Amino acid sequence: MTAAPASSMTRFSAMEALAGMLSDELVVLSLGGAVDEWYTAAPHLREASLFQQQLGCVTPQALGLAVGLPHRRVVSLDTDGGLLFNLGVLATLGNEQPGNLLVVVWDNERYQSIGGPRTHTSSGTVDLAAIARGAGVVRANTVRDVGAFAAACAAGLADTGAPHVVVAKVDTSPEGHVAAGHPVVRRKHSDGREDTYRFVRHVEATEGVTIMGPSEHN
Amino acid sequence: MTPTAVQAVIAGLERAGVTVASYLPDSLLEPLYPALDAHPGIRTIPCTNEGEGAAVCGGVFLSGKRAVLCMENSGLRAAAEPLARMGLGSGIPVVMVMSYRGELGENNWWAVPHGITMEPLLAALRIPHRVVREEAGIEQAVVDAYEWSYSAYQHSAVVLGGSVVR
Repeated sequence: MTAAPASSMTRFSAMEALAGMLSDELVVLSLGGAVDEWYTAAPHLREASLFQQQLGCVTPQALGLAVGLPHRRVVSLDTDGGLLFNLGVLATLGNEQPGNLLVVVWDNERYQSIGGPRTHTSSGTVDLAAIARGAGVVRANTVRDVGAFAAACAAGLADTGAPHVVVAKVDTSPEGHVAAGHPVVRRKHSDGREDTYRFVRHVEATEGVTIMGPSEHN
Repeated sequence: MTPTAVQAVIAGLERAGVTVASYLPDSLLEPLYPALDAHPGIRTIPCTNEGEGAAVCGGVFLSGKRAVLCMENSGLRAAAEPLARMGLGSGIPVVMVMSYRGELGENNWWAVPHGITMEPLLAALRIPHRVVREEAGIEQAVVDAYEWSYSAYQHSAVVLGGSVVR
């Protein structure tokens, strides 16, 4: 059985809207189709984006990055499956209140990377934004169209006093992608270690620091 | 854990340049956590599970700062998934300081699995570790863990056992 899309907003159109707002931010993002779509939708941010392949780690890693670089804006591009894997991080965000962190949750109500089995948000009873608010991230909202998504992200990027969570209900079906006239998305051709080095070199260059430096030859 | 053992851990972290500590507190390292909280040069981030704490530490590494994950050794099981992905898959290191629950001398039945699973799990994840049972070895073990992890870009662990934590 194929369930109806979670929203008429395609993830790619939302990514394009967000990418247009970003310049020197750092991005951490999750696995699956979102990786390849972001690589295509935000070519100017490829060096500044850490492409991960794991559930439950994206927002915690983004939190660590935000804590380490408090003067820098950090964007976590998480997913419904990824956030559901570790809802506890919302409580940590509620306690830590990182003002330089924006969390976007691509909620397509399914585990798309393995073919589309439903996640818990597909039931309509699980409200990730409400869970976030209950955990102390009071600026957490669900959006279903690109205009509302862009406004919520803009508000989050402008607010340096508290973290924001934007739960974006999106259609990630191939049919929706094609119907919206989006470009063909190809698989990103790199692995985790290459992605780490590339991201770290970008942080090193923009922060003037050495993170993965040479050996001391003693 | 004695106050001097706590100070030895903190001295090692200071020498290693650590400025962030994520932790899920346990009983054997109990005095360590408030000492970290009170340290003016260390920001503490209590986590809801050790996997989350590991990921926070990974993010701190990517920022150019240094972090430590402090926990009971049972936390290694909870953190195995993100540790495997970050260490073996992406080369993002996490340095851990953990208590050795379940070693010989353990008198709690519920802690026995921690001791049985810890070293095989560390080996499976290819995480080198040093078990420290004398206070004199704590500070250097912490420093050595950072030297190794920042050369290998893989996790390492300092395990505090014996009289250090009992």
